[in-house]
Amino acid sequence: MSASVDQITVIDEWESSDISLLETLDHVLNRGLVIAGEITISVADIDLIFVGLNVLVSSVETAHEVLRKHQME
Amino acid sequence: MKLYAYCLVDDLDTLDVQRPGILGADVRALKIEDLSVLVSDYQFDAVPVTRENALDHAAVVRSVLDRTTPLPFRFGTLVTEQQLRNYLSARKPSLQMRLGNVRGCVEMSIKIIWELTQHDKPNPPDAATNQGAGTMFLAEKRREILGDEHRSQAATEISSWLREKVSGLIRDEQVTLRPAEKLVLSAAHLVDRAKLHDYKEAVAAARQERPELRFLFSGPWPPYSFANIELEFKTQFGVS
Repeated sequence: MSASVDQITVIDEWESSDISLLETLDHVLNRGLVIAGEITISVADIDLIFVGLNVLVSSVETAHEVLRKHQME
Repeated sequence: MKLYAYCLVDDLDTLDVQRPGILGADVRALKIEDLSVLVSDYQFDAVPVTRENALDHAAVVRSVLDRTTPLPFRFGTLVTEQQLRNYLSARKPSLQMRLGNVRGCVEMSIKIIWELTQHDKPNPPDAATNQGAGTMFLAEKRREILGDEHRSQAATEISSWLREKVSGLIRDEQVTLRPAEKLVLSAAHLVDRAKLHDYKEAVAAARQERPELRFLFSGPWPPYSFANIELEFKTQFGVS
């Protein structure tokens, strides 16, 4: 398998940088091979991107609003 | 010392990962039987969920995508080497089968957002306003139920429509429908790399057909949505 794979692209009406990050987090945190009982994460130092991820589960649109508000603060 | 596990591969003799992993640690390939796991040493008990750590995880998995199709581990997988060996030894047939299923493919993601108001309450409210409170309550409940059914039907129609549009271009799919929410459909498509161009064109054409829907289309990703054998593992070890 020698053909290189395209860079990840996000097509949407919204700013792609924020959505690209949220899509990455959606894949990394919600999916993937699980060894039962061996996922050990800490959210003590929770950052807003993780809040954005939680929102993404229910609404990408709302997540975008959250991020935009965060950027304005 | 624990290991942070990024992904599993089975068809590379050498893995030269140039980029650092979580917390800047060196990434190496740990060969166990016929499989290799990309790991880095990790000295803490938990992995903080931060933007940097999540992106580091994604970047390491992504770094081998040009040469093979890995099975990504979920973020935060911390194991001892012995745990990893036991896991791979116990699940080797399932893991090899899963690797075979995704070989030569990438994952493409489609999320569809609709306006709920278009699919709410298909019937107008009853004209009569002199009904009793009980009758009005039941009428409202009936409208809610009809609205739920209508949304479910509409969501199913969108799912069927999308499946038809990519028919013949995907090897597998994972679709989640949420008719009650704005994010009505989340689909992960497993696409053979040779068909990726045609797949993208098919999705682009489909988007043009449904201007009332908003699409979020991203990829290619490593096959995160097609990696898990969690249920099989739980069954084997009696974990509920």
